[in-house]
Amino acid sequence: MSQPRYRLVVTGELGPRYASAFDGMTVSAHDGQTDITGPIIDQSQLHGLLDRIASLGLTLRSVTPLEAENHEAAASNHQANEI
Amino acid sequence: MSSQTAEAPPQRLRVIEPKLMLPRVHPGVRRRGRLLEMLDEDGGSALTVLEAGVGYGKTTLVRSWCAERREAVIWMTLDAADDDPVRLWTHLATAVERLGQGLGARALASLGVRGAPVETAVDELMNGLVAYGRPVAIVLDDLDTVGSDRSLRSIAHAIERLPPNVRVLVSTRSDPAIGAARLRARGALTEIRAHELAFTVDETRELLARERIELSGESVELLVERTEGWPAGLYLAALWLRDLEDPDQGVRSFLGSARHVADYLTDEVLTALPPQTRDFLVRTSVLVRFTPDLCDALLGREDSAAMLAELARSNMFLVALDPRGEWYRYHHLFGELLQLGLGREHANELRRRAADWCRANGLVEDAIEYAAGAADAEMVAELLVEHHREFVWGGRLTQFLGWVQWLPVELLLEHPSLPAAGALAAGLLALPAVDVQRQLAVAERARSERPQLWSPYLEATVELTRAMGIDRGDVGAAVEHARRAVAAARAGAEVLSVGALATLAQAQFFAGDFDETRRAALEAVERPDAPDRPDGYIASLGLLALADAEQGRTEGAEAWARQAINYARRRFQTGSWRLSMAHLGLALACTQTGRLDEAEREALRGEHLRRSPQPTVGHAHALLVLAQVCVARSRLERAARELERAQRAIAEFPDPGRLPAIAATVEHDLTTARANTGNHRIVEAPSPAELAVLRCLATGLSRREIGAKLYISLNTVKTHTRELYRKLGATSREDAIARAEALGLLEPTQSPG
Repeated sequence: MSQPRYRLVVTGELGPRYASAFDGMTVSAHDGQTDITGPIIDQSQLHGLLDRIASLGLTLRSVTPLEAENHEAAASNHQANEI
Repeated sequence: MSSQTAEAPPQRLRVIEPKLMLPRVHPGVRRRGRLLEMLDEDGGSALTVLEAGVGYGKTTLVRSWCAERREAVIWMTLDAADDDPVRLWTHLATAVERLGQGLGARALASLGVRGAPVETAVDELMNGLVAYGRPVAIVLDDLDTVGSDRSLRSIAHAIERLPPNVRVLVSTRSDPAIGAARLRARGALTEIRAHELAFTVDETRELLARERIELSGESVELLVERTEGWPAGLYLAALWLRDLEDPDQGVRSFLGSARHVADYLTDEVLTALPPQTRDFLVRTSVLVRFTPDLCDALLGREDSAAMLAELARSNMFLVALDPRGEWYRYHHLFGELLQLGLGREHANELRRRAADWCRANGLVEDAIEYAAGAADAEMVAELLVEHHREFVWGGRLTQFLGWVQWLPVELLLEHPSLPAAGALAAGLLALPAVDVQRQLAVAERARSERPQLWSPYLEATVELTRAMGIDRGDVGAAVEHARRAVAAARAGAEVLSVGALATLAQAQFFAGDFDETRRAALEAVERPDAPDRPDGYIASLGLLALADAEQGRTEGAEAWARQAINYARRRFQTGSWRLSMAHLGLALACTQTGRLDEAEREALRGEHLRRSPQPTVGHAHALLVLAQVCVARSRLERAARELERAQRAIAEFPDPGRLPAIAATVEHDLTTARANTGNHRIVEAPSPAELAVLRCLATGLSRREIGAKLYISLNTVKTHTRELYRKLGATSREDAIARAEALGLLEPTQSPG
């Protein structure tokens, strides 16, 4: 069973300095924001991540579980095939 | 293992002074008049909460507010370890004691009563502040670092009871669970949030002017817009811009970047620093609070004092905690940003060095925190083994247990004193049985897997913890374990003797063996070290009082009880549950000599002290004594209620010792008393056997038939019947039945036929 994946978005593009701040997560900056994506074991870890973001003075814009996105992508693929 | 002879209790853990220091106001900080006025509006609210993210200048603002007061200020910088309410309040009480001798002493003593609810100490502290009388402000900085329910509730408890001369100011990053809503409703709360703390364009202009940075008006506005007035961002910007030839150009580049404000500016500021300085900042950023000495040790230098003084003067990264330049800490945000420049391995190596220095300088708690931060479980285990007695004897049970639970089982097996002490701590904290059991299981595994590491001290600790489980309701087991604890203490852990003997005495008392109770308790109180062991001493004296009272030795009971109470008063331990037995013994003695008012007071006090979240044997006993006294006072409704509560608890206990017998006696007395208040006076309440006969009589059976039905001889039936008539004051079967019905001893029956 795979771990749930989350994407957290913060305002402002973060440079390489922040790579070590989010262990195990992928950090990618674009269009004035930064996506922090990766597997989250449990709620504790998620809250730890939120604390980290707050400690670094970052502004949180969204927290999204990625399962939903995968399902939507699969559904639209399905439809495309049917047509 | 060498035996431990009677010794004075080990030194308590030192208060961490930097937590109580008032941070110095940086000379470059502008006075924010608008906000300072908000803090003093309407004379200042009872509670003021500054709630905003990191870098909004909360601490700075409160600090400059403090600088302008003439009244006393108590400053406390909170941190995660204040999740242990004893640690939290020990620091606050120490600060209050420094306001005036004696103001915090009772609270401090209360905190020393292990396992007692911390609210008692909080109340004592509020009393001390009332006694102080003059206005005082208490600042709690970084409240968001405290997450434990118990600590937060204790703060809420304090805030509910703030004397009128006390104001509390709290800075936090997130909503604090301290009951602010209630104060808001009463209009006694001032809130200052990010929106107010953000810099205005005017304030930014003043900041820039002070740093002699010349920017066009438009640049200033754009700068404020880009940073959204975030004070940390603007200070960083100022640091960077002041060294630029063309600040306007700098601002334009900054505006053109999509990077996060702190990321961009930190880069600029750090690259502009001399490498030596940058290196110093980055490597010391792992430190929570530090002195020049610690920095020297960390980095192998000798010039940290000068370096720190210069850094504190020239920028905002460092916060000087005291005027002599001894203690510093980093501003939270900048500390975090600096640390990003360190690899994890390097950071942990530095933390390990910091742990060594703290250890060598007697800063036990800090050493443990750094070792844990470096993920060095071995060092944490070593430090805990070295100092576990200071934690456990000093009442820092929650803190200690937290560390023990953090360590891997393998290390706990190698250092069995830790799970043993952890089990004792869990027991003293009255945690759920499963938590105590978990630690005991590890300790007992160590006992069987590593017998060469075992010792009488550990044996005594484990058995004592099990014996303390008497409160879970197994008196027989408690006696067994307490005996073993006493034997182990004798064999080589003298320091635990008083406690073990007291626990044995208590178990024997509930088992109903008063001679054994007296023997154990006397041995305890006659030991030369007894007065140095308040827990065991008070309990033993109280048990002697109870044992004497139960056996009708009224004078002895009173003497013992008063000795316990006076001793407890001198030691500020009057709130300890262990004193309840003295009060109950005194209550019984007073009942026997007809001093019923005093008996009631003492019984109420004894019961109150013995209350706990889960039902315990001790509390059930206290309820029974209270019920007994209520019967004597003719408060029959109350007596019935307390008796019922006791009986409900007793029903759940696997082995309640003699409590059911006491309950039966109280019930019997209650029934008698009840009957005596009716029109029908009875001499004495019929026994259960007699009542059984009466019920048969009511159904019209002959005596021979009753004998057959109840499996008793005809003679016995006749005896019971005779006794029934006598006790009910009846002259015939019909009369007896009628009286019994009127007294509620029999359900009214249909007349036969």
